[in-house]
Amino acid sequence: MANALELELKHLIIDTLELEDVTPEDIDRDEPLFVEGLGLDSIDALELGLALQKTYGIKLEADSEESRRHFASLKSLAALVEERRIH
Amino acid sequence: MTDTSLLSAPWRHASLNQPIGWRCAEPIAEAAVPWSMLHGRIGAWQDLLDSLAPSGRRWLLHLREPLEFAAALIACWERGDSVVLPADDRPETLAGVDRLTAGRLGDVMSGHRAGPDAGIPRWGTLDAGALALSLYTSGSSGDPQRLDKCFAQLDAELCMHARLWPLEGRLVISQVSHQHIYGLLFAILRPLCEGATMATSLCRYPETLSAWLARLAKTHPSSSADMVPDAVTAPCDAVLITAPPPLERLPEELDWQTAPQVLSRIHSSGAPLSQAASERALRILGVPVSEIYGSSETGGIAWRIQQRSECWTPLPGIDIRDDTQGTLWLRSPFLDTTGWQRQADRIAIEESGFRLLGRVDRILKVGGKRLSLTSMDRTLATYPGVLQARTINLPERNTRLGAIVQLEPQLIPYDHAARRALTEGLRRHLLETFESTVIPRYWRFVDTWPANAQGKFSGTVMARLFRDLQIKDLHNRRLPRWLGVTFEDDERCRVTLEVPERLIYLQGHFDAQPVLPGVVILQWIIELAREHLGLQSTFKRFERVKFPQLLRPGDRAELSLLLSSVPPQGEQNPKLTFTLKGRQATHASGKAIFSDRETSDVE
Repeated sequence: MANALELELKHLIIDTLELEDVTPEDIDRDEPLFVEGLGLDSIDALELGLALQKTYGIKLEADSEESRRHFASLKSLAALVEERRIH
Repeated sequence: MTDTSLLSAPWRHASLNQPIGWRCAEPIAEAAVPWSMLHGRIGAWQDLLDSLAPSGRRWLLHLREPLEFAAALIACWERGDSVVLPADDRPETLAGVDRLTAGRLGDVMSGHRAGPDAGIPRWGTLDAGALALSLYTSGSSGDPQRLDKCFAQLDAELCMHARLWPLEGRLVISQVSHQHIYGLLFAILRPLCEGATMATSLCRYPETLSAWLARLAKTHPSSSADMVPDAVTAPCDAVLITAPPPLERLPEELDWQTAPQVLSRIHSSGAPLSQAASERALRILGVPVSEIYGSSETGGIAWRIQQRSECWTPLPGIDIRDDTQGTLWLRSPFLDTTGWQRQADRIAIEESGFRLLGRVDRILKVGGKRLSLTSMDRTLATYPGVLQARTINLPERNTRLGAIVQLEPQLIPYDHAARRALTEGLRRHLLETFESTVIPRYWRFVDTWPANAQGKFSGTVMARLFRDLQIKDLHNRRLPRWLGVTFEDDERCRVTLEVPERLIYLQGHFDAQPVLPGVVILQWIIELAREHLGLQSTFKRFERVKFPQLLRPGDRAELSLLLSSVPPQGEQNPKLTFTLKGRQATHASGKAIFSDRETSDVE
């Protein structure tokens, strides 16, 4: 039941990346965030990484295999935040 | 032969009882405006200017009435002043000009206007090399740029026009703004210098043009047996100064019977006229269109009549060549440099002139890589249902691109789901050719192409399309997505809007099923009426407001606005009637009442 956090993350993604025409309902928790699905790209990944650090204090290696795994879907991103957040 | 050179200031020596203007809507006997009147107006403007500042200043000048504009312009020149012509009268445009000028003249906010009493004009000297005026480019290939023109430059171009297409006393009817170089030269300076006449108002709408031509035909010698003897007869020959937008929208159902009899020439400039529009204009008006290709920077470059040849013929005195990339190079007496100048258009030189092949590719550096926006535009245009597209850099959005896409009517998305599906389709289409980081993020789907009144892709309209994304509005998120405006006349327009998904008003309203509050719709309506219909009066109240169908994020709707005046107790209170319609239902309708009185309720 990570729904509240998932909704929060959806808003974080939309606001950080200034996606003007995406609503939280458009982001499927199981669908890929990058390329397919939401269609985010490498510049978005960097910006999202910064936002995660600012909001939750989570530090990610910029281009590591690990980050790529966490960014796979909203569900995996929520799991990461749940596990590693320090604020 | 009288001297028609601008440098000799032909207006000083005009016969004062001869007409300079025609009020085309008035009965013939009252229609003539004599030169004596224009002289009086020049004097009146000089009196005003003398009361404002010593000579040698620059003034912002914006005035819709052609003759009054001419009077103000000449008044400045003869006093030793110069003018800056703003491209339009939007507050931001004017504010940009203010820092260059001593004050505003004309029909704009805080604009000085000459009093009604005639004055006595005083003549000065027009120095060939002196700055006459500055005007602005349309911004179709970047931000609008200011261009300075000296008297000699203007004169060289006017003399060439007079040789190629002499007015010979014909009446000039204009459908284009003289705040731009084409309208200024053809509709104002040419009749002033060549001793011809001009219509006293712009002829913006086809209904007006049809009525004027019918009226002028009645003064034709063959039908003027009942004319008052000695009355000054209106010239039965007219030249129409127009542009692709009005020509492309000529309604066939109006009465154009008299057009071939009255019109002896039609000029069009601003953008190339499509072959279909050229044929249509010839069929409806009975006169072939002489097109002029040029720009504010270069002045006229070439001309053509499409029924003779699609190719453009360089204007007398102009040299052209191309380079290995097919880019046009130009040497022109209307430029302030004497060398070859590279242009932004590609051409193919042929025996009878040259063909225009379109703009040189627009290249943008994204993440250190060169991206051809032109090629992205072309790729977008190959998507089914896309008529044309323009990808643009949004400086305030770092590396993210915006795209303006004109669609066939059946492809226009009317709600969030349809819009998402369409952008997803376009993204996938582009991903076959381009990297994901350069795919446009901000989409504007339009049903009519954002051209300005000159028919050029307009930097101003483009900026308007993305205004809701500008920095200052970024965190405020209160504006609708604006997708274009069309005017039926000065009081009536239709604005296409979308409800942005991230609109601040949608948050926390009903989180599961967000809808747009009615009060926000009303606020948008008032703001858009002020923007598009020039409404300045104080808001009083709404009447009979209904919101039959809710508006949701991503919904697209068309707002119809009609401004009319109702006279209660003899006063003119503007009344705004509005309807906001989606594809299937009406979202809002009602009236807003305004007051012109100073003391009124606060808004």
